Amino acid sequence: MKQAGNKNIFSLKSNLKRFLRDSNQWSVFTLAIVVLIALPIIVIGVELFFGPGETWSHIVEYLLPDYVLNSLFLVVMCSVLVLIFGVSSAWFVARFNFPMRKQLEWLLILPLAIPSYIVGYAYAGIFDYGGSLALILRALNLEFVRIDVMNSYGLAFVLSISLFPYVYVSARAFFLYQANSLMEASKMLGVGERKTFFKLMLPLARPAIVAGLVLVLMEVLNDYGAAKYYGVNTFTTGIFRSWFSLEEPETAVYLSALLVLIIFALIGIEKWQMRKVKFSSAKTNTKQMQRKSPKKRLKWLIFAVVALPVLLGFVLPIAQLIYWAFLTASKVFDVAFFSVALESFGIAISSALITVFFALMLIYFSKWNALRMVKNVARIGVLGYAVPGAVIAIGIMIPTLALDKWLIRVLADFGIETGFLINGTLIALFYAYAVRFLAVAYNPIESTSLKIDESVANSSRVLGVGNLKTFFKIEFPLIKTGIFSAVILVFIDVMKELPLTLILKPYGVETLAVKAYEYASDEMVMEAAIPSLLIILTATLPVIFLNKLLIKK
Amino acid sequence: MKKTFVIAAALSIFASCGGNEEQSTAKEEKAVEEKQQVVNVYTHRHYEPDQEIFQLFEDQTGIEVKVINASADELIQKMKMEGAQSPADVLITVDAGRLHRAKEQGLLQSIESDVLESSIPAYLQDVDNQWFGLTKRARIIVYAKDRVKPEELSTYEQLVSEKWDDKILVRSSSNIYNQSLMASIIANDGEETALDWAKGLVDNMARSPKGSDRDQVKAVVAGEGDLAIVNSYYIGKLLNSADEEEVNVAKQVGIFFPNQEGRGAHINVSGAGVAKHAPNKENAIRFIEFLIGEEAQQIFTVANYEYPVLESVAPSADIQAWGEFKEDTLNLTKLGENNKKAVLLFDEAGWK
Repeated sequence: MKQAGNKNIFSLKSNLKRFLRDSNQWSVFTLAIVVLIALPIIVIGVELFFGPGETWSHIVEYLLPDYVLNSLFLVVMCSVLVLIFGVSSAWFVARFNFPMRKQLEWLLILPLAIPSYIVGYAYAGIFDYGGSLALILRALNLEFVRIDVMNSYGLAFVLSISLFPYVYVSARAFFLYQANSLMEASKMLGVGERKTFFKLMLPLARPAIVAGLVLVLMEVLNDYGAAKYYGVNTFTTGIFRSWFSLEEPETAVYLSALLVLIIFALIGIEKWQMRKVKFSSAKTNTKQMQRKSPKKRLKWLIFAVVALPVLLGFVLPIAQLIYWAFLTASKVFDVAFFSVALESFGIAISSALITVFFALMLIYFSKWNALRMVKNVARIGVLGYAVPGAVIAIGIMIPTLALDKWLIRVLADFGIETGFLINGTLIALFYAYAVRFLAVAYNPIESTSLKIDESVANSSRVLGVGNLKTFFKIEFPLIKTGIFSAVILVFIDVMKELPLTLILKPYGVETLAVKAYEYASDEMVMEAAIPSLLIILTATLPVIFLNKLLIKK
Repeated sequence: MKKTFVIAAALSIFASCGGNEEQSTAKEEKAVEEKQQVVNVYTHRHYEPDQEIFQLFEDQTGIEVKVINASADELIQKMKMEGAQSPADVLITVDAGRLHRAKEQGLLQSIESDVLESSIPAYLQDVDNQWFGLTKRARIIVYAKDRVKPEELSTYEQLVSEKWDDKILVRSSSNIYNQSLMASIIANDGEETALDWAKGLVDNMARSPKGSDRDQVKAVVAGEGDLAIVNSYYIGKLLNSADEEEVNVAKQVGIFFPNQEGRGAHINVSGAGVAKHAPNKENAIRFIEFLIGEEAQQIFTVANYEYPVLESVAPSADIQAWGEFKEDTLNLTKLGENNKKAVLLFDEAGWK
């Protein structure tokens, strides 16, 4: 026993020694960034130990079962729907030739450009009494049978149809670039098309599909706008309710902490199942899969199957929004609207640049530090994406309010009177976006930077060029594509973001997403159409551009 | 940390520079001419007619109206955080309960104004003169004209009778207008009765609560239920909608003011108060006085279908068509006092 204890102390000591010996300024910088990014999540975790507010028992008794059941239902339903839409379209696009295949291949990504709450508004309008469907049916002299979408099934559909591209993109990438040789082997062994798909392709694509699915589920749990509008009580709506209706931030924090636990459990499951099927992560094959040209009738059937999600997730909602936009254009369009659009745009661009800057620092600082431990820790920085916006907002308000109050006291000693410098200013908002979307910027940059042989940078350093100079002269030009896609992705996400922006936005500043939400929650859904369309437009163009960029690569 | 510290420092210097610059330009302006008079308004009302009223006020007084739009809850949080530094002069909400909340948290101040005191009925203003009602809305029952006779309706309390099983449409309990209706029932009938009422109403709901007040009316016309509890001014909005279908919907429902034999129909106000730390207190009082002046009241009722608080202004023709009604003269402070209780009882009754 004693010996073991000694050994432990010894190893701790030696670890510390090694840390002191091998750490450099980059290790410290890396850790500093990780702490900054993880702070909101840590704060929420710490709050758990202080206990909830006084209405907690009330919430557990009357509301929590509903939150848990609804959230679980959404997770299960959305998984099923997203897999059906995402995997089928990915497989058909990768494997077959059919009419308009090329166009559909990128059209399938576009539903991502529409925030899911806006898809929700549009579908409520389509199926409404006196809505578009009723009008069309009446024009055709058909009887109108109302389909009620405003319930948890409708919500699951709306979320799935707007989020399935995450699964489509990752599954398609697998089918296109990794499945070719296996496909050929299977063909040579005389195995049929269907059997090959279900017995071979699907199990092998599982890690790629699940990775996309986890992203979808995080977004599902993050949703506030659609769930609120459809009257489905989830964790996120519960957080808003306990904070604002019950005036108990402590209880909101407690709910947030529970939600974060659920999400980390989901990630845990993903990691666990990935480990089991690790053998499948084959090297990327440069040869794309050979496409089959099916018979004519089958061709059109495939076309229909692939076009359906595009129709449901993009064309229909947009058509409804355009119709509303025509009805309300004269009311909504004014000078103030353009300034909101510009503000929104400016906020999205700035936060995209800031977030990408943080991601670059995190990736390269941890690279330049010599400690493996710090390298591993750096990955914690991307966990923010798993945490719902409403939770991050609370996690940021708690420490920054304390800092703000301290700053006011200190500055007052110097005779400077100020208000809050962080809360209610753009600084808090940018910080929150950086925490939430760091992963979105991190992944594309990291994947391009991994493709660069380390020896390039090493030889530069051997020649006595410093890290920073090497980065700007050699590495930066090589990872430009990655950085560029990172900026675009974060830009789109910020344009669409709602719950976090609602809580942290400086007053007097508005974004298009907030404007659309306000109209809708003020019973002016029609008026919400124009800001919504503008969000979609500013998000669609970069998506198309990005897709071109990635395919060329 | 060093780097982020540097960034933070740079940013704060930048921010403070910006502030100084503003201050110094403001000073220069002051030197050149008399300082531009302003009133900073935090408002939950995002209706277009309000813009028109603010414009009128600017034209007549030369005081610039600076508006910050957000929900009352957010505005209250904001004012709380800003504390003594808050630039807010006036807080406007769409519900008396929220004004009461602001008062409880020490965000408003008592003001002396004979104009406000004499033109607004006592039950529509705070006992300490911290807030004043600007416009009234009634929480009414709309019914399907083809299926329900108005004689079958009487009170809110009667809505829980078996007769209306699976017939009632109403929105979520997170909606402030429902919370205030519940608060008024708690005040009038007591907590226990209120809970039973909520439970009975949940039993009678035609569907789980969802959507907006407008959606409830549409659902009545679609035959999902026979009755809906909604705010009066949404009917006005439907009748004047850009969408022809919505106009048709509004024409197919009848309007019923409940509890006419007893205490009267539940009303709520959109109201305003002067902020505790208002930097432009005089302007703030002038502004609120303007809002209850005849001109503004006229616009509120004609363009936004609300009932004026000023007796000398008649409700617009649109809403006069619904007939006169007796209103519950419960002091609206009660709505604020009972708000949290109402939310808790709603949860207990299972009203989503």
